[in-house]
Amino acid sequence: MATLHVLSHSPFSDSRLSSCLRLLGANDGVLLSGDAVYALQGGTAQHQALELMPSSIGLFALDEDISARNIEPPQRVQVVDYPGFVALTCRFAKVNSWL
Amino acid sequence: MSKSVLIVSRQAPWAGPGAREALDIALAGGAFDLPLGLLFLDDGVFQLAPAQQPAALQQKDLAANLQALPMFGVGALYASARSLQERGLQEATLGLPVEVLDDASLTALFDRYDQVITL
Repeated sequence: MATLHVLSHSPFSDSRLSSCLRLLGANDGVLLSGDAVYALQGGTAQHQALELMPSSIGLFALDEDISARNIEPPQRVQVVDYPGFVALTCRFAKVNSWL
Repeated sequence: MSKSVLIVSRQAPWAGPGAREALDIALAGGAFDLPLGLLFLDDGVFQLAPAQQPAALQQKDLAANLQALPMFGVGALYASARSLQERGLQEATLGLPVEVLDDASLTALFDRYDQVITL
């Protein structure tokens, strides 16, 4: 029962990302959208924490949000568009949106 | 067979509607006999702090609604041990009896439910 965790808040003002990372299952995925893509900002603890996730965990980010913020996606990240987002929600057994 | 739902309540009680809304979802789901769990995580554990006096903020007490959960069939109540410990709350003094779980047990808990709603 793998879960796709969808985050959309900045990890610098909020504990959603850190709580999510502590509770991740081995085959879960993390999708960053909106201000959550700031977690990919190079040289930050948040980015480092994402890089330290086991390789079994998929890391995804929404294309338009990283483009809008001029963030260079690290290699680890799979960039997806909205159809890709929808496909991901179908691929995982459930979706946990950290509202 | 209805799908089971884990509701994750992670907002403190008095600064916004999030805590009450999560509780309303739990009570409504319980009234419809949905198999529900309710997890207090992060600032959500402040909802369980004892002897709060929200009348000072012209707000209604959450305690009565929390106490109603078992009556609505929502008996699966959990709190994060880490969230409690970080915020200086002791299990023995909480306003509602909950099962306190460490991070590994929380991962297993998420796994057991069909759906998750985080507010």
